[in-house]
Amino acid sequence: MKDFIHFNAYSIDEAVALLSRYGGNAEIIAGGTDLLGKMKDRILPSYPEALINIKTIPGLDQIEEKEGMISIGALVTLSCVAEHPVIQKTCTALAQAASRTASPHLRNMGTLAGNICQDIRCWYYRAPQNRFSCLRKGGGRCYAIKGDNRYHSIFGGSVKGGCFAVHPSDTAPALIALNARIITSKQSISADTFFNVGVTHTTVLANDEIITAIQIPAPAPDTRSTFQKFALRKSIDFPIVNCAVAVTEKNGSIAHARLCLNAVSVVPRRAVKTEEVLTGNKIDETVAEEAAMAAVADAKPMEGNAYMIPVTRAIVKRTILACRENHGG
Amino acid sequence: MTENTKNDFRCPYCRRLFDSLSAMKNHMLENHRDGDLPKPEGQIRLTINRKKYIQDVKPGWTLYYLIHDQLGFTGSKQFCDRGACGSCTVIMDGKAVLSCMILAIECDGKTIETIEGIAEAEHPLIPSYVKHHAMQCGYCTPGFVTTSKALLDRNPEPTEPEIRTALSGNLCRCGTYPQHVTAVQETAITLKSQTRQRG
Amino acid sequence: MDHLSEKEKQTMRDLQDSLTADPFPLKTYTHIGKRGPRRLDGLPKASGKADYTMDVQLPGMLHMRFIDSPYPHAKIISMDTREAEQLPGVRYMLRFDNPELPERASMGKVSGLYGDPPPLSGIAHFEGEPMGAAVAAESEEIAEKALELIRIEWEPRPFNLDIIKAMEKDAPLSYPEMYPDSNYWNNGLFDVLTQGDVKKGFAKSEKVIEFEFVRRGHTWIGPERPCGVFQWKGDCPEVWVKQQRPHLVKKNLSTWYGGVPMNKIQLHCLYQGASFGGWVQVPWNMGPLYCAGFVAKKTGRPVKYVFTRREDFYGGSMDGGTYRFKVGFNKDGTILAVEGTSICENQIWPVFNPMNHLKESTRIPHLSGKCVSIWVNKGPTVPTRCEQLPTTLSLTAIFSRVAAECGLDPIEVALRNDGEEGHDMAHLNKKKKKLGFAVIDSLKECVDKGKAAMDWDKKWHPPGTQKLPNGRMHGLGFTWTNEWDDSLGSSEMAIRIERNDGTASILAMGCDNGVDAENTYCRIAADELGFRLEDVHYNPQVDTGFFRMSPDSSTNMSINGWAVRHAARILKKQILEAAVGPTAKTQRGSFRPAFPDCKPEDLDIIESVIIKKSDPADRIKVADFVREAGQSGPLTSTESGGFRWAFTEPLFAYSYHVQVGSYNPVNPRPHMTRQAHFLEIEVDTETGEIHIIKVVNVNDVGKAINPMSCEGQQYGGSIMGLSRGKFEEMIYDPATGVLLNGNLLDYKIATTLDVDAPIDTILVESGMGYGPYGSVGIGEDVGTVMTGLIGPAVHNAIGVWINDHPITPDKILKALGK
Repeated sequence: MKDFIHFNAYSIDEAVALLSRYGGNAEIIAGGTDLLGKMKDRILPSYPEALINIKTIPGLDQIEEKEGMISIGALVTLSCVAEHPVIQKTCTALAQAASRTASPHLRNMGTLAGNICQDIRCWYYRAPQNRFSCLRKGGGRCYAIKGDNRYHSIFGGSVKGGCFAVHPSDTAPALIALNARIITSKQSISADTFFNVGVTHTTVLANDEIITAIQIPAPAPDTRSTFQKFALRKSIDFPIVNCAVAVTEKNGSIAHARLCLNAVSVVPRRAVKTEEVLTGNKIDETVAEEAAMAAVADAKPMEGNAYMIPVTRAIVKRTILACRENHGG
Repeated sequence: MTENTKNDFRCPYCRRLFDSLSAMKNHMLENHRDGDLPKPEGQIRLTINRKKYIQDVKPGWTLYYLIHDQLGFTGSKQFCDRGACGSCTVIMDGKAVLSCMILAIECDGKTIETIEGIAEAEHPLIPSYVKHHAMQCGYCTPGFVTTSKALLDRNPEPTEPEIRTALSGNLCRCGTYPQHVTAVQETAITLKSQTRQRG
Repeated sequence: MDHLSEKEKQTMRDLQDSLTADPFPLKTYTHIGKRGPRRLDGLPKASGKADYTMDVQLPGMLHMRFIDSPYPHAKIISMDTREAEQLPGVRYMLRFDNPELPERASMGKVSGLYGDPPPLSGIAHFEGEPMGAAVAAESEEIAEKALELIRIEWEPRPFNLDIIKAMEKDAPLSYPEMYPDSNYWNNGLFDVLTQGDVKKGFAKSEKVIEFEFVRRGHTWIGPERPCGVFQWKGDCPEVWVKQQRPHLVKKNLSTWYGGVPMNKIQLHCLYQGASFGGWVQVPWNMGPLYCAGFVAKKTGRPVKYVFTRREDFYGGSMDGGTYRFKVGFNKDGTILAVEGTSICENQIWPVFNPMNHLKESTRIPHLSGKCVSIWVNKGPTVPTRCEQLPTTLSLTAIFSRVAAECGLDPIEVALRNDGEEGHDMAHLNKKKKKLGFAVIDSLKECVDKGKAAMDWDKKWHPPGTQKLPNGRMHGLGFTWTNEWDDSLGSSEMAIRIERNDGTASILAMGCDNGVDAENTYCRIAADELGFRLEDVHYNPQVDTGFFRMSPDSSTNMSINGWAVRHAARILKKQILEAAVGPTAKTQRGSFRPAFPDCKPEDLDIIESVIIKKSDPADRIKVADFVREAGQSGPLTSTESGGFRWAFTEPLFAYSYHVQVGSYNPVNPRPHMTRQAHFLEIEVDTETGEIHIIKVVNVNDVGKAINPMSCEGQQYGGSIMGLSRGKFEEMIYDPATGVLLNGNLLDYKIATTLDVDAPIDTILVESGMGYGPYGSVGIGEDVGTVMTGLIGPAVHNAIGVWINDHPITPDKILKALGK
């Protein structure tokens, strides 16, 4: 790893002060599982001069229920989220998503906040020694377009000519389906609008802004949520497709639905048309199938990733159907 | 030494920042007059296998480098060096974590257990692993044993799916997975009977 | 009669090819075949105390790292290392153009195939190749930093990734230094196999089919990465190697640096974090060791090199390629003719024709096989778990296709065509009898046991016909072949009785690759000597001057097992002769025998005690018999009170075993033992996922000397094979030739959850193997054969052949028209 200066921050203010002092040349480290991998592989053209450890800030590792909110501190690990009984019960999709992320060890280390801030996994972007100077590094082109794009976006690109790297988070779609808000040192942002792809960034966070908590409004009564993931391996693997859905039922039919896909497009993708299909209906095979079709209606596969369309359809359908079967919450 | 900006003064005890030297001095006199000497930059104090360590570390050192290369706990192995295989697993504050993806400098105050500590305590996992051939080349084995130890500490009677899930972050290229399940299950029974005898 | 006659001793020494059944079998097995005795390596490995080369640290040790070529084919035009050399902590910069480096060096078994390349090349033939410069520094970090400061002007050359394109006339040359004319490399070298006349065979066949499939290259992934430590003690090198074949290192090393006498080389071969054959034979692992030795000499410091995880990725297995077949058969499943071609990438050892196993163990009369190896700009491929991957893949594909075409159960087709070199089982059975073996139908036994375990007859169904209540399609796969472990090689092993306590030490260096082999040799020695198992120990990490098969050439037990058996028999004879005769002579005459009035054949050794057979109460422990060593030993302590105790000369025996083996083209003995494997899966037709439901492995191991070790190979082989079949492939960027998935996140090997199905391991013991006690090795078999079994199982599930392995979900969905 390249040399860097290491700070332990003892308050959010201090972390923010350090960030602004380094003006974009510092990184926050919590779980570190994504950041250290990037640094070891030297994938980027330039490296942070400083790492600011926020694990030393007291109070950020709590899950609290207050005023109709579940508040998950920025240092809460994925395994704590996955195993938390209230989250399991009321925010099932999030608990399931957390439990399917990475591997047990990484879940003990990585945080929920870190999971939604993680960088893309595109193998051109991640090639060691900054082998490909791609769009996301300020370079000239996306190498995946003419290269091997079996794990790239089926919903178009981002950044100038089009970077087709997908967003790899498992928990992001669950947070969006559950209408979560991301609380930062500056503002409170809807999870829906949190993700924003550009050169060297994947979220709307400013250089001197850090997540302090993630808040999920307690779901309305008769709301159920589920999450499903498709990956080649059942552990230590990033999703090829994942999907989270939250539905609220009234008088036996769906009054309200939020469904989000990820790993198939450059940012987590709210499937609005799918939600429309669901709303007002009862969940059954036919409705789920129709809703799943709607989820992929706009898909434009590249040469190597057309298979992701049927997989997405199947996963969306199954997530919806599992929501029907899942009476736990 | 870190390169603090000229105008900032950091309390060496509690790390608070001050605008001026005099403000920091006043703070220290007020709050830390009776404290021990402050810990130098880059020094961590941690417990490894029930023994206390005071170590000077560089920011770039991983916990793996500290324990394996500096302290000689060579039972933790480097297989993937990217958090994808579990061979460097240690137990930190009760949880199985990957020492190759943790900065040593961030381990101040942590309690760590390595395979050496598990063996020293004569944990029944070890004879059980030997008995059931839950190893071949053996390179990944300490990581599996350590992960299994953390599992049994938390869940003394794991089912087969629970064992498989707990070990699903450990890769074994020789393909010894079935034997691990047997070894862990048998250890659970041994531990239970040991507890009963004691109880 | 356990005692050895001269004739028997002679026979043992002459027993070169293990062609016949053992004329002097062991009468009773005490430790051989038992489940449970301790693994010698168990405690160190489970408790983290087993040291590997990567763990070695010496005082003052420097760390060496290499430039990895960013291009798949490129030459260094100029290189500026000045800035890197100035970096504090850099102690030596070894450049490829250092005039003291030789132009050629002997590096690895097949070094010659690469023209004995330079230890550090200025030309790269694959992306990621360690070359150009080696930096030795005080830490890995500094070495890495120094590498970034090296400025290189490259001349990128055109390159090949695709074997079919590389075969075209105007294709660029992948390796012009060695192969200046074309990218074909084995034209006319072991490439053709013929038997009978395939044209006639096709003409006679009721049906003829043709098909083609692709196997994407996959790699071995040694958990411990290639590494080594080199230090000089004066003019004596002391070397630690991660190497499957330490004897090869010693041999090569002796030719380096102007020549080093073998007896000055001190070698350590610690526990090995597996390699499955990978990096055994190729220069890319030996070159760095050469460089480490060179720099160690220049700096006077120990030098260690460790490949990065990514550097380890570039090697691969030998089966990556395109396979084409034409098969003629009758509707009853009798196969009459097969014509096959395998075109494989960088196949370093291209003698393994796709037809090999069909020739060795079927009655198919007409065969014609061609194996073509094409150079492309990817890493070397070496036998990974076994070079028989191409031929077992081929057998599985051919037999499953024929069964499917005939609408038959594949087991029926296997039994119908079992045989040897175009002849039927009656012919093979005659040979078994003639060679002194019991006539056992090995395949039938394997199949019967496997069918029962799988409940095959109940589960078998025509392809694509069984949809399960969970919506998935149910599939069964079956394949079979002969066991192999009968390659060429030689082994020298010795046993010494320790002076003070009478325990036995086996001496011979070899690498531990985790199969508990050392314990197996101990069991053989214990049973042959009549010792307790705990009185026999074997540490193969020490260079005793004897080298065994290690594992090499696909065979270990069947050669080493004989060597240790022979040595133990000779040693036992020595012990018994010493027990009856005046033994060590001193200035004061001979010592009194332990059993003065006996002949050796009157005695036996049981549980490490020498007994008189006619009066077992007349006994002496071997420990008491051999007495103490050293200055306070026999002469002083044995004469106290005027009484002189028995004292023996040193008890030590060596032996050896040489085997010509039955590898192509030599085939002195037919393959008689078989293996059969059964796989049950479910295919999710909406997502293309394959769920493994049950696995049954049946191997006729001849004699299971160490049953749990055999089962370990079945478990491990199934998991590795299915992982290869489902996930594993090395993915290169077509435009730049850069390996895209050179890490353990993107190159997927199965986790505990990916093959979580029950695996039934069944051992058949026909006694017809090459090895001692009729055993035959198993280590390579299951992993190799299982790799291709996903294909037929998927076909049985969905009714469509997928001709591109690994069979990932995208391919299944495509095959289903989704």
